[in-house]
Amino acid sequence: MALLEIEDLTYYYPERSEPSLEQINIQVSEGELLLVTGGSGSGKSTLARLLAGLIPEFYGGKIWGSYRLAGAELKGWRRRARHSAVGIVFQDPERQLVMTSVEGEIAFGLENLGLPRREMFRRAAEVMTFLNLLPLRDQFTTHLSGGEKQKLALASVIAMHPRILILDEPTSQLDPVAAADIFNLVESLNREMGYTIILIEQRLERCYHLADRLIIMEGGRIICDAAPGEAARWQLRKGLPFIPPVARFFASLSSGADSPVPLTVREGRRELQRTAPASPAPPDHLPLSTVSRSSTQKKEPLIRASGLWYTYPEGTEAMKGLSLELPPGELITILGPNASGKSTLLKLLAGIIKPQRGKILLQGQDTRGLAPSQMGRYLGYLSQNPNDYLTRDTVEEELKFTLDNFGLSDNGVCAEMMKRLALEPLRGLNPRDLSSGERQRVALASVLVTEPPLLLLDEPTRGLDYRLKRELGRFLGEIVAAGGTVVLVTHDLEFAVDYGERVVLLFDGTVVSEGPREILRESIFYAPQMARLFRGRAGNVLTVEEGLSTINGGRAYGGRSG
Amino acid sequence: MADGAADRWIKMGAAVLCTAGLLAAAHWQLPFLLQHWAVFTASLLLAALVLFFIRFERSAISAREVGVIAILAALAAVSRIPFAALPGFQPTTFIAIVSGYVFGGQAGFMVGAVGALGSNFFLGQGPWTPFQMLFWGLAGASAGALGRYFPGMSRAAMAVFNTLWGFLFGWLMNLFFVVFFIKPLNWSSFLLAYGASFPFDCFHAFGNLLLYLLLGCRIIKVLRRFRLKMNYTGG
Amino acid sequence: MLKHLYYRDRGTFLQSLHPAAILSYLAALLLLPLFLTHPLYLVSILLAGLLAAFTAEAAAGWCAYLTVGLWPALLLLLMNPLLSSNGHTVLFLLPPLPFIGGRTITLEALCYGAVMGMRFLAIITAFALYNTQVHPDRVTGLLSRFAWKSALLVSLATRMIPTLTRELSAAREVQQLRGVDFGTGNLRQRLQKYGWLLELLLVSSLEGSLQTAEAMQARAFGSGPRSSYLRNPVRLRDYLCSCSALAALFLSIYARVRGYADFTFYPQLGRLVDGVSGWFFYSAVMLSILLPLIIGWGWQRWPYLRSKI
Repeated sequence: MALLEIEDLTYYYPERSEPSLEQINIQVSEGELLLVTGGSGSGKSTLARLLAGLIPEFYGGKIWGSYRLAGAELKGWRRRARHSAVGIVFQDPERQLVMTSVEGEIAFGLENLGLPRREMFRRAAEVMTFLNLLPLRDQFTTHLSGGEKQKLALASVIAMHPRILILDEPTSQLDPVAAADIFNLVESLNREMGYTIILIEQRLERCYHLADRLIIMEGGRIICDAAPGEAARWQLRKGLPFIPPVARFFASLSSGADSPVPLTVREGRRELQRTAPASPAPPDHLPLSTVSRSSTQKKEPLIRASGLWYTYPEGTEAMKGLSLELPPGELITILGPNASGKSTLLKLLAGIIKPQRGKILLQGQDTRGLAPSQMGRYLGYLSQNPNDYLTRDTVEEELKFTLDNFGLSDNGVCAEMMKRLALEPLRGLNPRDLSSGERQRVALASVLVTEPPLLLLDEPTRGLDYRLKRELGRFLGEIVAAGGTVVLVTHDLEFAVDYGERVVLLFDGTVVSEGPREILRESIFYAPQMARLFRGRAGNVLTVEEGLSTINGGRAYGGRSG
Repeated sequence: MADGAADRWIKMGAAVLCTAGLLAAAHWQLPFLLQHWAVFTASLLLAALVLFFIRFERSAISAREVGVIAILAALAAVSRIPFAALPGFQPTTFIAIVSGYVFGGQAGFMVGAVGALGSNFFLGQGPWTPFQMLFWGLAGASAGALGRYFPGMSRAAMAVFNTLWGFLFGWLMNLFFVVFFIKPLNWSSFLLAYGASFPFDCFHAFGNLLLYLLLGCRIIKVLRRFRLKMNYTGG
Repeated sequence: MLKHLYYRDRGTFLQSLHPAAILSYLAALLLLPLFLTHPLYLVSILLAGLLAAFTAEAAAGWCAYLTVGLWPALLLLLMNPLLSSNGHTVLFLLPPLPFIGGRTITLEALCYGAVMGMRFLAIITAFALYNTQVHPDRVTGLLSRFAWKSALLVSLATRMIPTLTRELSAAREVQQLRGVDFGTGNLRQRLQKYGWLLELLLVSSLEGSLQTAEAMQARAFGSGPRSSYLRNPVRLRDYLCSCSALAALFLSIYARVRGYADFTFYPQLGRLVDGVSGWFFYSAVMLSILLPLIIGWGWQRWPYLRSKI
């Protein structure tokens, strides 16, 4: 018997005429790891809330169909029993912690369950040991890193001993290292602790192979429920994008065959070795420094930063003599681990903070003497949170506001910008009522109306689904094609590889590597999945298309979105 | 939020305070009374503070309400950060008032009180903490009563209310200093102490007034919209 | 600012105490100067507080408080003799001043002012100690036992303050780069710019509060009677410290009621200490106040004592 059974379930949020979930049928058996994916607005978060018993209890609305947990209708469960049976971790690490201390946070759920004190101590001790949170026990939760916060959220749910663990995009706000950490935990919870896990994710590279089954949602319906390999083939036929690169590569190599699709780099390399035992690669150890030098010498750099040092008031030394020259008319991605100084560099370039030593020349102009409020003429800056831009009542006013601040007149630039970013139908709406993707476009438009030669973006793909990412990539490509320069800081390696031309790798406040995106092939951690698959082989492979053309000698292929 | 009950408590508290004040005035011996009643006044104020918290403890409160009150309190606390261009200007009173006006007296009180307590964990607790908690809380609670009995208050009236609280907060805060430390308490010393802080009080009140005129209606609208959203999404 | 708690963990003796013990000790340090006006007691308590602050590595915190407290303390010292003409021992006559007129300055009034200033400093010292020695969590933890809703609210708000501070400065930077100059314009314009930020922060934090509420709901918030998780080991030193604090309180109340700890300022300064019983109560109160500090000193010095208490 299945642990969790949902039959013909349809759900309407209050005051909505469209169903948010329609005819849902799911069965999850004990110990299974179910991966749920889909674009934004596909209903996967609603599904997560439903599974966690928050719908309809917390959200209200109308619901039909049945949801049985361990054979009993969930409606009949007492609240307490329900919430200890199903635990959920949400996406935003910043908003789901309620207590000031780590230990108090773990205790919060246990206290709500009214457990006796001895039992609480035991559970808290066990879960802190298992998740290695003991060293952080007395920390102020606000000062934990994003990854630690998510781990704590996970710990405080596990302490309630759920039978089913739901994770709603737990890594969407995290950097790759922290995300890998969470996925490793998920794996060991499932494999070694026997937890039943329902993982809702958009970043599939690191979890696709863990799943027993993959569910794809679209428009509130389940459109696919199959094993990951099978689902990869099916998606390829339908032109759906929820396949990580390695699986996509092999699925498109053998679209009709019945053989299992390799899902990990290891399986993939074995498969490649078996099917195409290519001659070992001609060692192309082109020294990276010469690569970067030869290409930067062509154009006069747009940004010339030399010997930047920056120490924050509380004492963290974030920039350690960084020097950098960036050419105009390119899309440059800045990569690096957390606390490597990426955001600091972006802020220095934007002129929000000024270097304590060293200087930055932007189009030959020293930016040290310019106030932040004057920088907007030279550059546009898009922060991680588009809500930071929305102070006006309509989209159109939002754009005009920037122009007014700089005393510029609107010579049709607002209209043009709205057209380019598909904001025209929204021009009269309140930007706060828009979806997150639309808000980001409004924010982007509001900094681009001054037509700056340089655009800086901080983690622009965070929380975006594949479709929005593609739109953003295309738009940034247009800017570059029109002669603009785009510098973006990101953790999203696939995005960097798909759309970036030049890569800067930061570590500990200095540049450790800089050059065309091909330098990523040589990196250990920052090599994209395809590069790791093809490491040691011939060819210059970073993306699925490049891989396919290497293997097939350039055979046409249409599955890749880009 | 249990508005009726909260208001009853506010009324009771106000009644007790007024009686004490009248009694003092009736004797026309304010200095003498206050000299001996320093401890009494302080305990009265602290008791009022405790009563409000007991009231909150006893009310049934949903997760949403806890979330909203906490975030508004945090906002009230954060608004104490001196803003580069406006030294010494702290719109905490304003936030407590608009919160109370929209979400009711109890919520307003908790926003002001918890905002004061929470911010002092960072800025440093002092003898001022309980008084800030009480008076910012009272600003919120009184706005709650206002919102309950005069829901359609005109903008001008609300502006006056805000200005009044700007003065009142400063005056009440002075009270604890005066009562405890100024011993030959007579009218001239009383007025001197209050006169010394008058410019600051004016600034506070004027800032409150301007902030309300510039922002009050918009913020109240945002909060009302949110309250509606909060209610119809169940819970 | 508003990013880091005032409290820092320094591993001092007072920080190692059970919250109830440290709170009762600090309550004694706070309440004694509030109801005693005797200069000898006040000086001694102030000195004891200072000793505690300096041995608990709270000197820097105390100095910060002093910069706040010194001005009112001086004001009190000066204001009293200016305003009060009580007392027989006239030191000198002041020429007529605006508002207050001519004044006679008496020794008694000056002494009284000094004592009031001292009282203020003693209170400030108690709070400086509180801020550096008691973690906010431990107090809310203690509170959560009988007022868990308030404790939760305080905890949640406190947790959100640094987050909102960060968000505020991020939004400010963004607006600056869009050409908003927060430093220019008249008061009205500056307030207007500030208001935009405030509104922006309000809107996004209200949205966030629903997510927080949802997370609380999913963790069974309000699903029935709640238990309380408190893990504060009680050691011998906690009993010793709270007992000595209580002893100090009761002894001084008794002394005050029976008149052993009174001091007359007007019309003429009285005797500092009256007889044997006066000295007895004074030394008993001071001993109880100093006992925790003595224990703390031993705790720091001898690992053996540390393991025993």
